[in-house]
Amino acid sequence: MRTIPLLDVRDLVVRYGAVTAVDHVSFSLDAGETLAIEGPSGCGKSSTAMAVLQLRRPDSGEVRFEGRELTGLTEPGLRPLRPRMQPVFQDPYGSLSPRQRIRDAVAEPLRLQGLRPTAGQVAALLDRVGLDPSYGDRRPHELSGGQCQRAGIARALASNPRLLVLDEPVSALDPSVRAGILNLLADLRDELGLAYLFICHDRAVVRHFADRVVEMRDGRITSR
Amino acid sequence: MTRIAGLASVVAAVGLLPWLSGKDPALTVLRARSAEQEPTKEALDAVRRDLGLDAGPLSLLGSWASGLVRGDLGVSWVPGTEVLPSVAAGVQVSLALMGAAFGVALVLSCALVAPVLVRGRRSAGAFAAMLAAVPEFLLATVALLVCGVWLGWLPTSGWQGPQYMVLPALALGVPAGGLLGRLVADALPGVLDERWVELWRGAGVSRRLIAGAALKRVLPPLVPQFGMVAVGLTGGAVAVETVFAVPGIGRTALGAAKSQDLPLLQGAVLALLTLGLVMGALAAFTRRRLLGPALRDASLALPPARPVRTHPAIPLTLFTLLAVAIGWGLLRDPYAVHTADRLAAPSWSHPLGTDGLGRDVLARLGHGAAPTVGTAAAVCLLSLLVALALGFLPGVAAGAADIANALPPVIVGILIAAVAGPGTGGAALAVALISWPPLAAHAAALVQEVRASSFLLAQRAIGAPPWWILTRHVLPSVAAPVARHALLRLPGIALALASLGFLGLGAQPPAPEWGLLLDESRAYVERAPWAALAPAVALALLAGLAVSGAAYAQGRRAPRTGEGRKVTPVARVGV
Repeated sequence: MRTIPLLDVRDLVVRYGAVTAVDHVSFSLDAGETLAIEGPSGCGKSSTAMAVLQLRRPDSGEVRFEGRELTGLTEPGLRPLRPRMQPVFQDPYGSLSPRQRIRDAVAEPLRLQGLRPTAGQVAALLDRVGLDPSYGDRRPHELSGGQCQRAGIARALASNPRLLVLDEPVSALDPSVRAGILNLLADLRDELGLAYLFICHDRAVVRHFADRVVEMRDGRITSR
Repeated sequence: MTRIAGLASVVAAVGLLPWLSGKDPALTVLRARSAEQEPTKEALDAVRRDLGLDAGPLSLLGSWASGLVRGDLGVSWVPGTEVLPSVAAGVQVSLALMGAAFGVALVLSCALVAPVLVRGRRSAGAFAAMLAAVPEFLLATVALLVCGVWLGWLPTSGWQGPQYMVLPALALGVPAGGLLGRLVADALPGVLDERWVELWRGAGVSRRLIAGAALKRVLPPLVPQFGMVAVGLTGGAVAVETVFAVPGIGRTALGAAKSQDLPLLQGAVLALLTLGLVMGALAAFTRRRLLGPALRDASLALPPARPVRTHPAIPLTLFTLLAVAIGWGLLRDPYAVHTADRLAAPSWSHPLGTDGLGRDVLARLGHGAAPTVGTAAAVCLLSLLVALALGFLPGVAAGAADIANALPPVIVGILIAAVAGPGTGGAALAVALISWPPLAAHAAALVQEVRASSFLLAQRAIGAPPWWILTRHVLPSVAAPVARHALLRLPGIALALASLGFLGLGAQPPAPEWGLLLDESRAYVERAPWAALAPAVALALLAGLAVSGAAYAQGRRAPRTGEGRKVTPVARVGV
């Protein structure tokens, strides 16, 4: 018997007014697997990511995560599940509050669960993503784009997720920094058994990184 | 449209004043008509019937409104004369005064803008800001003191010829001119840095043509602000007319409010608001003519004004001066009456002299700081809370702000004083009603900015509930800059409160509130100018503190990104 996939998306539809951004998209993803969605800008791949995370509710279709159907859940019902699927956004500065110190931003997902993370725990998280724990005192604008993206990944890891939705995680970075982040993501996948839904427009990056690749054009999956 | 609705509701509120206040105007009217008559029930009923008060609020309002349509403003209660002629006469005088004041403002603003255009100076600087921050009632008193009393150049009260117009027009026109000049002069350097100027210079276009084009480029986005200046003029007119005993519409309104003469008050407030509205509409019309039909609002935004940098020593010095005077005064007794030392000149025993009752001016100044600044702080806090609450409801905030912007605080003060009687609470409420809109607009803009930022999406993604996001992320990013903005408006609010005190609408004697101090000392200004000068200088220091503090905070904040881009207008609460 086949095991239940970690993420199972069926007939996902996202509309913005008259425009159908995501048009009956289906795919599934097993634990520890990396699936890349590749396509040009405007093809609906980021909308797919947002709909999978339920940060933008899809207009129709099903999103099953760990066997649970998400689209029917209310926002409060979703909240306990959210820590298990975390996004990493394209803009490294965009996912961190400009007012928060890195230390607090990384600790926030734990505090939200009512935990009181120690300085050692936060330092361990920063260390895991290759950031010196002394960076914890800084604010996002005092970090480089790559450092900031590492902090964003540390924050995503804090809540012990099973799935990371990587929405163009290296597109805003310099080519030299890019390789470092991709290597980090690959290491984390192996160490923690994470599954990745990897959204990217760069075919070269995708082919190296992903177990499977699907191509998206005009809101539809055209090849797999 | 919102302004017309605002006008209608304000006028209706004026019509309902006797029921709002719960006081019986019949008694007031009876007293005013004949001092001897006993306030018996029959006499009061007769007055009520006579005034039409017995029919209830709505019918009184209805008959007044139908009279208004026919051009009949009713009969004044106290002198028993027709309202329309006295309002018309007042408007005539006020229009002449405002025209002259506008001339003064125009000349002054040209003088402030010229150095920027001709010599390419970076901005009109602190001088213009200082002029703009000095409230009309203060300037009027100082002009009266210097030109009228000491130098004896010009008549100080009445309205008998053109020479009577000079001082009131200056007092009313200089703050307006300072504000206009500063707006244009601050916007010009940014425009002169735009690409096209370089291109025109390279092509050999004359400097005069470039200056003309730059002016044409600067003016349209600023014209709505000119409408605000017009609203400020109608408010300022009340104070200036009172100081110089000019029989204009502002003084008529104030007198009517104090004697509870509702028909006259209705007529006068209606005339004042209409004046403000017409000037605002003229400003809007001018803007449309300047822009042409093809251009829409957003397409001609000005480049952000470069902040004027102020050395921190200036606000610090002003603050220290004020603090020393207040501290010294606090050690003395503000109510002790030395009848032998009435109107004494400054000496060691009375460093700033004594007032008409022989009370120590320094002591009154020191003890007046707490009610003046303390009330202002309370008003400031209240406005901040209202602004933060309404910032999350931008639709409500915009509508209410439109109405509040069209009302000068002094008119609100008159209305509230007519309802609740003059007092500190009423004055505070009046200023609070006017001072929250700019803060709410700032808060709404910040809320919008924060709500749109992507890190809030990241907050939802980690499963943060709305209250967590609101209290830990949205509120802190909004509250801090708005609180700073509110703090910058504190001296302006204190000045507005003082202006109400000055008009007898705020704190009541013997309280040592600064505006009241200035008003009380006006009666014997020839004999004891120091008693008037002391509160005037204290208020001027406060105005200077407002301007330099704001400029310093802006200059310091500007290099950083984010909130520095939102250039907060320098606090100015005109009367």
